[in-house]
Amino acid sequence: MKSIFKTALAALGLTLAATQAQATDIRVHYAIPTIWADTQEQLAQAFMKSNPDVTVTIDGPAESYANGVQRLLREAVAGNLPDVAYVGLNRWRILEARELTKPLDPFIDDAAAFEKAGYSPAIRSLGQYQGAQHALGTSASTMVMYVNPDLIARAGGSMADFPTTFDGIIELAAKIDALGDDVEGIWIGRHDWRFQGLLGSHGGRPLNEDESDITFDSDAGIAAATLYSRFYKEGGMPIYGQSDARQAYPAGTLGIFFESSSLLNKFTESAGDRFEVTVLPTPVVVEDDSKAYFPTGGSALVMLTDDAEKQKAVWDYMRFVTGPEGAKIIVENTGYAPTNTIVLEDDSYLGAFYEANPNARVAHRQVADHAGPWYAYPGDEGVAVTDLIGAALVEISEGADPKTTLDTLAETVRAKLGMK
Amino acid sequence: MMAPISRAWREGLTDLYLVGPTVLVLAALVFVPVLIVFVLSFTDYQLGDRSVTFVGFDQYVALFTDPIGRRAITNTLIYVAVMVPSSILLALLVATRLHGMAQWSPGLSRFLRAAYFLPVAATLVAMALAWQMMLHPSIGIVNMTLVRLGLPAPAWFSDRGLVIYTLALIGIWQTIGYNMVLFLAGLAVIPRHLYDAAEVDGVSSAWSRFWTVTWPMLGPTTLFVAVITATAGFRVFETVAALTGGGPAFASDTLVYALYREGFVYFKVGYASAITVVFFVFVALLTFIQYGLLQKRVHYR
Repeated sequence: MKSIFKTALAALGLTLAATQAQATDIRVHYAIPTIWADTQEQLAQAFMKSNPDVTVTIDGPAESYANGVQRLLREAVAGNLPDVAYVGLNRWRILEARELTKPLDPFIDDAAAFEKAGYSPAIRSLGQYQGAQHALGTSASTMVMYVNPDLIARAGGSMADFPTTFDGIIELAAKIDALGDDVEGIWIGRHDWRFQGLLGSHGGRPLNEDESDITFDSDAGIAAATLYSRFYKEGGMPIYGQSDARQAYPAGTLGIFFESSSLLNKFTESAGDRFEVTVLPTPVVVEDDSKAYFPTGGSALVMLTDDAEKQKAVWDYMRFVTGPEGAKIIVENTGYAPTNTIVLEDDSYLGAFYEANPNARVAHRQVADHAGPWYAYPGDEGVAVTDLIGAALVEISEGADPKTTLDTLAETVRAKLGMK
Repeated sequence: MMAPISRAWREGLTDLYLVGPTVLVLAALVFVPVLIVFVLSFTDYQLGDRSVTFVGFDQYVALFTDPIGRRAITNTLIYVAVMVPSSILLALLVATRLHGMAQWSPGLSRFLRAAYFLPVAATLVAMALAWQMMLHPSIGIVNMTLVRLGLPAPAWFSDRGLVIYTLALIGIWQTIGYNMVLFLAGLAVIPRHLYDAAEVDGVSSAWSRFWTVTWPMLGPTTLFVAVITATAGFRVFETVAALTGGGPAFASDTLVYALYREGFVYFKVGYASAITVVFFVFVALLTFIQYGLLQKRVHYR
């Protein structure tokens, strides 16, 4: 008797929902207003224009992706999660592990058509875990090489035949470093993400296929860690912190700087006309180019709502933002690389933008060719071990032996993650 | 018809009516959260989890055996050991000088007071940016000057052996102004006639005047300043968060920064709660010791 009553109520609820279909309201969460505030507003307006039956409400933004995930977790506990959220590409797995994200495969439906719509396997891989699509990348950045052409020229090199191997780069860095006390040759962040970049360039991966073991102590990993050591011993890499290097490069005292492509606009702006900020792709070491990948930072969209009606609207929103129109808005406003291949191939979207920003084209091409997931380590200690990795890189870049340090690190990380 | 209430009952009810709301709010906002933190420190709770397991003292054992946890504790102790005495001594020195200067140049004295107080009133994150630029290892003004003078140019924030002392230095800069104001207030209320009496008793040098009159009379102020500065030292967080992020390689990790990192970056609420409890015990112990030791030797008027 009771259950009949319930069914009747549910049916009534459904009809009510159906009659209100014109007014589906979706709540959107995002982070980092300094980069995203205007862009979010534009995306919401453009989406509502083409979907008048959906209203987009934007939550007050979180200060950073880390804060954003925290807030989402708290909201999940309190039962007032937003319907869709922009989260850091290395953080959506935190939500997935707590079963808060809704798998997107039922919505994708026709995989071939989806790929044709600009979602290449490299780009889809940014939001996949164990074969299921949980997130769609919305903006991307990979580690590129910023160089200072003036210092290169003074050191006797030239942009035309800039070395394409790490050996050549270290040799050049040493010459730049020898230019003077206040000039530094090369710098790379002692940070998990940068390390994964060098690792991927050597064709290595931090974790094995089913994420049951650490693999960054492979030959590729040791080669990547050895670069840190060689940059320090041979290339004149100074003992800097991340923000020191970010000041030194635009000031014109750092020759070669491996850093996220997302900082391009900032560097170009603060270098002014001191020198011409120039971006080159990070060298690929591994012979088989298809094995190389660069971990990708940026943001992804996840669906959080349980309501079927809202899920439909959220999916439309996600497709719009990650489609060519959304990608155009995002690229032009934030400087991030797009996560839709159509805009890279079809010049009708961003042709003029790339004409004016040749550096951006280099960076975005690297994303399209070699984008790969930013591996997050599984389990409760997943975030904590990235700081351990950073600490080991600090030791290596200050003279510790790369192989023994990396071996110890791998053992510590395995123990922390419960892999033995 | 209600039975008449006795006078004692009526007064009791009035008391309850007056104190009740405050007690309720205090309980809801202070005591209950503290209790929750205490209970959580014995669990392995992670933010977002739907269940909680009790793990006894595991989190505390982890904090005191894990090298990173131990480093946070030692770093905090080093920071306090360097920052607190220097800040108090320098503030005392500045306050006595400025107090004396007020006799012959009140304008300059007032100006310098404002200058010393500026770091207290300024937004720390903006100031942190200024420090970061000034102490840049190669293009900062400090190191450029040092190099010009033929001195070595240290990596203030990225040398692992140095960074905690750099932060302590900034801590001193930050707290001197506040302590100076407290000492100035203390100096202002020392009655003139005590100095006259001392002079009659044959105290003539500035040093013995300070030692026989000023210093004893500043006792209560010094106690207060010591307690305030020490708790501020244990609480050090903003400079770490804004300047070093606990790095490089955890070299500038402190208790409160570790608490923030474990709880809000790693989501390990249980562990973060254990750090909070340890932090609380440290501060409480320190305050009791200071009161116990100093109270005996402080002359309240």
